[in-house]
Amino acid sequence: MKILMRLLSFVVTIFFSQALIAQSMVGSAHDFSDDSWNTSGQICLVCHTPHNADVSVSNAPLWNHETTSASFTTYSSATMDATTGQPDASSKLCLSCHDGTVAVDNFGNQTGGSHYLTGGTDIGTALSDDHPISFTYDAALAAIDDGLYDPLTTNSGLGSTISSDLLIGNQVQCASCHDVHNGSGISKLLKISNNASALCLTCHKK
Amino acid sequence: MKMIKLCKYIYIFLLLTYSLTYGQTVVNSAHNLSVSGPGSISASSETEICIFCHTPHNSSPRTPLWNRDDPGVTYTLYSSSTIQAEPGQPDGASILCLSCHDGTIALGSVLSRTEAIDFSAGISMMPAGRSNLSTDLSDDHPISFIYNSGLAASDGELKDPASISGPIHLENERLQCTACHDPHKNDYQPFLRVTNQYSDLCLECHQKDGWENASHKLSAATWNGSGTNPWSHTSFSTVNENGCENCHRPHSANGNQRLTNYLFEQDNCLDCHNGAVAEKNILADLGKVWKHNLWATDQVHEPGESLPVQNKHVECIDCHNPHKATDQTATAPYASGKISGVPGIDSDGNPVNTIQYEYELCYKCHADSPDKPESGISRDIMQSNTRLEYDLSNPSFHPVEGPGTNSDVPSLISPYTKSSVIYCSDCHASNNSDADGPHGSANYPLLKYNYETTDYTTVTYQAYELCFQCHDYNLIVTNESTSHAERVHKKHIDDARTPCSVCHDAHGINSDQGNSTNNSHLINFDTNVVRPSMGASARLEFVDNGNFTGACYLYCHNRNHNPRSY
Repeated sequence: MKILMRLLSFVVTIFFSQALIAQSMVGSAHDFSDDSWNTSGQICLVCHTPHNADVSVSNAPLWNHETTSASFTTYSSATMDATTGQPDASSKLCLSCHDGTVAVDNFGNQTGGSHYLTGGTDIGTALSDDHPISFTYDAALAAIDDGLYDPLTTNSGLGSTISSDLLIGNQVQCASCHDVHNGSGISKLLKISNNASALCLTCHKK
Repeated sequence: MKMIKLCKYIYIFLLLTYSLTYGQTVVNSAHNLSVSGPGSISASSETEICIFCHTPHNSSPRTPLWNRDDPGVTYTLYSSSTIQAEPGQPDGASILCLSCHDGTIALGSVLSRTEAIDFSAGISMMPAGRSNLSTDLSDDHPISFIYNSGLAASDGELKDPASISGPIHLENERLQCTACHDPHKNDYQPFLRVTNQYSDLCLECHQKDGWENASHKLSAATWNGSGTNPWSHTSFSTVNENGCENCHRPHSANGNQRLTNYLFEQDNCLDCHNGAVAEKNILADLGKVWKHNLWATDQVHEPGESLPVQNKHVECIDCHNPHKATDQTATAPYASGKISGVPGIDSDGNPVNTIQYEYELCYKCHADSPDKPESGISRDIMQSNTRLEYDLSNPSFHPVEGPGTNSDVPSLISPYTKSSVIYCSDCHASNNSDADGPHGSANYPLLKYNYETTDYTTVTYQAYELCFQCHDYNLIVTNESTSHAERVHKKHIDDARTPCSVCHDAHGINSDQGNSTNNSHLINFDTNVVRPSMGASARLEFVDNGNFTGACYLYCHNRNHNPRSY
């Protein structure tokens, strides 16, 4: 009995745990230590600093990169029930490189940088062709939408609920799908693999 | 204690598995085009499901996060002579669906990949079949049009969109594919939002007058397996379950206008009305020599055509309204349920939207129309306009519009009396058939019973069987009790072997052409047999001198009547 229970809980843990092996920043797409524009040679410094951090964006973790001041076109559609606003909180931080308006080498109070993101990683300031972010995803939204799981009671597949594991203060942000530090080692810095569209189907009840 | 722990573990396991199990979802539907998809069309190795339509970044400008190109083609749109809506080139959600379903873009061609996703079984575009609508949408339910209260009001048979139920879903007041289909959910094949059993889906918007009581809505009749399967395009097996789909289909209809299953009007009816589904075999009657020939024309009939009919044609739909027809019986002259809801011409010659009387239906073509069938008998007074023949002010007429003028008709067989009214279809109907109505008969001209008109016919019951349905054989043919009976009927019909039709016009004589002295009792001589009399005051004339007395001026069977009286 005991062995059976242990086996069962082991199987359950392995089966549902997405983060099988801990990955690291080092060697990831966000490891800028070897990039030509990063004269510091450091990984973390491009975004973070332990002292005199930029506190203009609320809850920004010891922020050290120039923040975007662009105005964004947000996503909207006839079938969307959520209400989006200008990107805020952590999404604003991501867009500070990924909107293509701020030089990636403008960190640590440096200005005049000349390297910008282009191609697939440049989301741009038109977010109308991107998954909506910076909106509240709560039980009320799930109830109206009918195509979304209740975030408070549905498992994320990462050990707890959608709300706990994927939302930031009940908001959907870039960090809902992406782990900026490559914690899971899944391509495109995803938190959950999109094999069989499992990431999409975590929240979308289709 | 151990039991509780066991239950706890099982509960957690089940809870965790529940979040990953799916009911009817896109994952177990034919829209899962990934390698794990259950349908016959699937990628050879791609595991992502949503990618065939959606991408989270750098999508098409089209919502929702669309991952496909626009087809960029011009479509042939649905149109008909009866549509009120104004479909435009597909837009909104419809253009998204068509990016696979028109067969012009490879299924695996998505914006987020530089190479098209590979499919197994050599599939690239949507294979030919029901899912490939092509760019010709003229045979498909109209889409991309505004459906608002104004449209409902001008159409007259559409629900106001404000009262349409939840599952049906207009997009910015426009009807798109997504009104009826939910691309993620295949609860009701194929991806319908509401089942179409009993045509529940169609009826969410369409409200045909009279449908609630119509036979096509209510009948539980099934197909007996012979002939063509009338329901090869649905999964239902009774008339009522098929409802609208008995005659219509929303996609790839062969009859483009009004989306009928077949192009030729009668084909829509005859897969069932041949005894294989409907009890009575109308097709067999329509195969008889003298018929309303449905096959003589096709696509000449127009719904709402101006009346009286100007371009000679006949289709089932000229006499029957399949949305309203019921099996309710009626007594003459009232129209029965089988022909209810059809336009006609009234006794004054004015069009009516819905007939009240059976004869109003026949008058649509057999009264004031040009090119109508003429009588095969040349008579003293010729008239092919039946409305003028049956006018109630005429000197004599068979009682079709109302009771006849003759107050004394002793030959009538019970229950017929001098106050009786009869139907056109009491005489004009199919012979040897359990089906009512003038579909086709072996007897000229589409008569239910035999009616000889050739001179020198030996009298039998069978020779003038039509007349003897209402007029007693013995009282007419063998009776000698009065001068009239002996010298007129028995002598002419029996001894002289003269048919009824030589003296009597079966319809009536119009008051502008005849009068009550010369044309009472339906007297209107067959001029191929009867000539004017010879000698002084020679003429062709019958004179009614009162009850069972009269005189004839004529020459017939080598006998001069100048006059002969009774």
